[in-house]
Amino acid sequence: MMGQTSGAKAKERPAPARSAETSEFFQRFSLQFRVQHIFLFLSTITLIVTGIPLWCLGRPGYSWSQAVVNAFGGIEEIRYIHRAGAAVLILVSMYHLYYTMFTKEGRREFIELLPRQKDVIDVTINSLYFIGLIKHRPGFGRYTYYEKFDYWAVYWGCVIMIGTGLVLWFPDVAAKYVPWLTYELAAEVHADEAILAALALFIWHFYNVHFNPSRFPGTLMWWHGKISPEEMMHDHVLEYYKKELAQMKSKGQKAEPQDGAAV
Amino acid sequence: MRALRKGFGNRILFCCILLWAVSIAPAQEKLGDVTDGSRAVPVHLIPLLDERGEKITPNDEMLMPFSTRQTCGFCHDVNRVSGGRHFNAVDANVPAGRIGQPWILAEAGAATQIPLSYREWPGTYRPGQVGLTAWKFVELFGRHLPGGGPGEMFEESDNPDEVMRAYVSGKLETNCLTCHNAYPGQDQAEYAAQIGRQNFRWAAAAACGFASMTGSAGKMPSTFDPYMPASMDDPKLVPPMISYSKSVFDDKNKVLFDVPRYIPKQRCYYCHTNVDVGEVKSEKWSSDEDVHIAAGLSCVDCHRNSLDHNITRGYEGEPAGPNVPAGAFTCKGCHLGDATAKLPSAGRLTAPVPKHAGIPPTHFDKLTCTACHSGPWPGDIAIGVKTSRAHGLGTHDSNKSLTMLPHLYYPVFAKDENGKIAPNRIFWPAYWGSLSGDAVVPLDMDTVRAATARVIGKDALSKSGDWPSLTEEQIAKILTSLSDKVPAQSKAIYIAGGRMYSLDQGGKVASAEHTAAKPVMWPIAHNVRPAAQSLGVRKCEDCHSTGSPFFFGKVLVDSPVQGKGGVFRKMRDMYEFGGPVYVRVNWFFKLLIIAVMTLLILHILGDLYRRALLWLAKRFR
Repeated sequence: MMGQTSGAKAKERPAPARSAETSEFFQRFSLQFRVQHIFLFLSTITLIVTGIPLWCLGRPGYSWSQAVVNAFGGIEEIRYIHRAGAAVLILVSMYHLYYTMFTKEGRREFIELLPRQKDVIDVTINSLYFIGLIKHRPGFGRYTYYEKFDYWAVYWGCVIMIGTGLVLWFPDVAAKYVPWLTYELAAEVHADEAILAALALFIWHFYNVHFNPSRFPGTLMWWHGKISPEEMMHDHVLEYYKKELAQMKSKGQKAEPQDGAAV
Repeated sequence: MRALRKGFGNRILFCCILLWAVSIAPAQEKLGDVTDGSRAVPVHLIPLLDERGEKITPNDEMLMPFSTRQTCGFCHDVNRVSGGRHFNAVDANVPAGRIGQPWILAEAGAATQIPLSYREWPGTYRPGQVGLTAWKFVELFGRHLPGGGPGEMFEESDNPDEVMRAYVSGKLETNCLTCHNAYPGQDQAEYAAQIGRQNFRWAAAAACGFASMTGSAGKMPSTFDPYMPASMDDPKLVPPMISYSKSVFDDKNKVLFDVPRYIPKQRCYYCHTNVDVGEVKSEKWSSDEDVHIAAGLSCVDCHRNSLDHNITRGYEGEPAGPNVPAGAFTCKGCHLGDATAKLPSAGRLTAPVPKHAGIPPTHFDKLTCTACHSGPWPGDIAIGVKTSRAHGLGTHDSNKSLTMLPHLYYPVFAKDENGKIAPNRIFWPAYWGSLSGDAVVPLDMDTVRAATARVIGKDALSKSGDWPSLTEEQIAKILTSLSDKVPAQSKAIYIAGGRMYSLDQGGKVASAEHTAAKPVMWPIAHNVRPAAQSLGVRKCEDCHSTGSPFFFGKVLVDSPVQGKGGVFRKMRDMYEFGGPVYVRVNWFFKLLIIAVMTLLILHILGDLYRRALLWLAKRFR
C-alpha cells in the first residue's frame, strides 16, 4: 500500500487491529476541533480573496484588481466582507484560546501540539530519509512535526494579522495606544504576513492534507474527523500503538512488541 | 506792564492748547474712504493729476504722466493704502507673517539663485545684503511690484549718483490701477516694459490703456530733467515722453476710469500665476483653474481687505486685522464655520460643508487642509514650476524655457510653523558668500559678477537660462578670487545644492552641510483640487503605503555643481518622518517568506521524491 515504510520489514508488519471505537475508523478530531477549523479556513479564505484585490487596488500593474473589486460591488462592499471575515477570525481565535485553557480536551490537544525535542530529531531523520540516507521514516505521535508547524504558524499569523488588522481598522485608537505601530508599518506587516500565510496555506498545508499522492484529490478528515487505521499506521504509528496499548490494558491483555515498528 | 505780560502769556497758552488739540484730532477721512453702504460702484470720472498735483489736460505743452498717488489720492487716503500687505514689506514694524514666495535673484552667469525679501522670513536675505538698493531692487523686480514700498524709498539712498538717477526715473508710486482698473486695456506687461527702461514715473500711466510711451529714462544722463527735457544730441537717445488718447478726456478734461468693486482675477493672475513644467509645460487649455474660480468665486471673495489694504492671506493662525476677523476667510472659516459662534457660519459663499466621513480625526491635527486638497496630485518626483514673480511670466520678453532659473519644485510636504504637514514649493539656494564662525553672509552681487565673469564664460551659458555646469576647478578659482573680497576673519564660500563649498587648507574644494544651504520652502494653497481629487479619496493607501509619493516621493536636489546633479531626497526627510522602519520590516518579511517557503517546498519535493522512489521500486521489482 502506498505510504507504507519500505523494505521487507514493512511486509511483515501485522495488519492493524480495528478500532474498538468504530468498526473501521478512528475518530481523530472531535466536533469542537472540526468546527473551529471550519470557521478558521472559511474566514481565512475570505480574507485572502478580499484582501489581495484591496492591496493591489491602485497599484501599477494590477489593473485586474479594479474588476475584482467591482465584482464584489465596490470598495466599500469588499472592505465590509474583509472585515466580516476578520471578525470571524478574531472570534475563532478567542474561542480557541478559551478551548485550550478551559476545556479538558483542549488542554490535552494543546499539550500534544507543543514542540518537543523529538520533533527536532524527527525533522533530521525525515530529511535524511528524503535523501535516501535512512531507510525508514520516523514514527510520529498524534501530531507530526509539520502538523505542529502548521498549528504554530497559524498562531503566529493570527497574532500578527489580527494585531495589524485592528490597527488598520481603527487607526485612531491605535494612534492613541500604540503610536509606534504606525499605519504604514501595520499595513506593510499585514500585507507581508498575508503573503506568507497564503503561500504556506495553498502550497504547504494543501499539499500535506490534500495533494500529496496518498491523499489526492483530498481528504474529508476536516469534515468527519475520522482516520483509517492504515493512515494511522503510516502517519501516526506511535499514537496508533498508544491507543492499542490503552485498549489492551483496559481489556487486561498483555502488550506484545510489534516487529517493524519504527523507533 | 505786568498786565501786558500776563495777557501775552495767556495767548501763548491758548496757542499751545490749540496746537495740541489739532495734533490729537483724527485726520479727516477723504471722500472715497467713507462709504454710505451702497454696493454700487461710484463712477470714477476724475481729473488726472501729475506728481506735483497739477491737473493734466490734453493740450498741455509738456505732457506729464499722471500720478496715482495724486489722482487717486484726491479722494482716497493713499498713505493708508500704502500700508497694506502688497506695499508694506519695507516697514520693519510690520510682522513678517507666514513665509511666502520670496523674490529670487537668479543669474545663471553668476551661478546664483538667492532668496530675497524685505520681510524677516527664515532663509531669506535682505536685498541690501546683496547690494540691491531700493532703486536697484525696483529696477530688477518692479515688473511684478504694484508700486509703493521700495519704489518710494529712493531718497533714502546715500549714493548721490543713485539719487540723481532716481530723480530721472522718478518713483514707482503705489499703483492703484494694477488691481483696480477693470479696463481691458490695462497692460501690466507694458508696465513691466517701462520699468525695464527705468521709466518708473511713467509706468503706471503707460499701462493704463489710454496713454502711450516713447523713450527711456535709463538712457538719459543723470542730469536729465523730465520737467524741462533738453533735446539730446544723439537722435537715438529719446527722452521719455507720454501722450494720451484725446478721446478719453471729456469736455471738462476728466477721464473715466473703470474701477470695479471686485478686482478681476486677471489682475491677480499677472503676479500670481504658476505653470507646471515637468517634462512638458502644462497648457492653460488642458489644466484647470482653482476649484473656487471654477465655482464662480473670484480671488477677492476670499482675499479681502478694508481701506487699509491688509489683504487676508487666508492661512490658519493668520493674525486678525481690525476689520477682518481671523479665521473667517480660511478654509475652515468658510467650509466649516466657527463651531463656537452663536450663529451658524459654515457654508459661506455656498462653500460645501465636508463630512470627511471615515477619515480618522488625527489627520486634522497633523495635516493642513491644503495637504490633501491643494496643488497637483503628488507624483513620484516633485515637479518643476515657474511663477510670475520668479520667472517674469506675462512680460513681453519672458523666457519660455522650461529650465530657466530659478528652479522651483512642488509639491513638497513639510511641517509648517504650527507643526502641521503642508504642501510647499521649494528651491535650493545657490550664492557666493562669506563664512564667519558659523554665520553665512551673501556677497554683493557686483563683486560676485566680477569674480564669476572671469571664470564662467559666456559660452557656458545657455539660452534657456539654465545653470552653467560648474566644475570644482571653477569653484576653486572663483573662491580664490573672492577670498580677498570677504571681511577679515572670514572665508569665501559657495552655497549650492544643499552643500557649502569652501577651500580647504590645501586649496582644494571641500563641501559640508550647513544650515544656510537648506532649501527654502513656502506653503502653497492653490490650485485647490475638487474634493473628488483630494488625497485619500480612493483609499487610505493613497498616502499610507510603501511607494506613496506622500512619504516616498522624491525631491530633486538642484545643483549647478558637476556630478552633484540628479540627487534626490525622500519626501519623508523633508518633514523628518521617523525612520524607514517599515522598509526594514519589509525586507525582514521578504527574507522570511523566501526562507520559509524554500524550506517548505524542499520538504514537499523531498516527500515526492521519496514516494517516487518507492513507487518505482515497486513497479519494477
